[in-house]
Amino acid sequence: MVRISAHTLTLISPPDDVNTVHALLETVWADAAHVSATDRCSFETALIELASNVIRYADTGSGVTCGLRVEVSDVALDARLSDTGATAAELFAAGVSGAAGLDLRQMPDELSESGRGIALIQALVDKLEYTRNGDLNHWHIARKLGS
Amino acid sequence: MQFTVTDQGEGIAVVHIAGRLNMVTAPRLREVVAASVAAGQNRVAVDLSDVDFIDSSGLGALIGGLKTTRQAGGDLRIAAPNEQVRLVLQLTNMERVLTAYPTASNAFHG
Repeated sequence: MVRISAHTLTLISPPDDVNTVHALLETVWADAAHVSATDRCSFETALIELASNVIRYADTGSGVTCGLRVEVSDVALDARLSDTGATAAELFAAGVSGAAGLDLRQMPDELSESGRGIALIQALVDKLEYTRNGDLNHWHIARKLGS
Repeated sequence: MQFTVTDQGEGIAVVHIAGRLNMVTAPRLREVVAASVAAGQNRVAVDLSDVDFIDSSGLGALIGGLKTTRQAGGDLRIAAPNEQVRLVLQLTNMERVLTAYPTASNAFHG
């Protein structure tokens, strides 16, 4: 039987920001001694990228409220983030590359100062999914332990 | 997050950063590099030895700083990145553009 521990957070930006997500992950790792440093580093980088993209691009002027659930099992790390921000089409137009279809993205020109977030997430986790349901965006990332 | 700028002479500034270099703090790095260049220090060594996390926003600020210094005839070099920073540089194919030096003090005198 797979053991799962879950940690949840409601992020309201502003005043919350990605440092709020870092703080949640500190409590997650304190309870997950079996997760290697490589898995922690990769998953945390991916989740912070995702939260950054949502906070930056989904805010249409009235802030963003996000629900975040992180699950740790014996075999995987999993995060689901739901936000009240703009639709995928608006996100896509705003530059969240691949949000409409989450196609594998190439990195931009080496001197480009943005556009690496989604491609970086895809390099760090095994799963990146996006769906729009009603007024909510749903993001799902997962990384198999030891991958 | 703390930024400390040290004038090393010969137009070189060492920018020491402590904490996370993310979307919250990246704008400050851009300001610090721009101020250094405006003050005549167009060779900037960014000491990452006390940076424990970077995201693509922080990476973007480093690239922005690189462009700012080069436009002024200088350069920006990074030093002492930890494993997480190296991972981000590797996965974004930026290791060649932002070559890591062992220490900030020898980034321009290696």
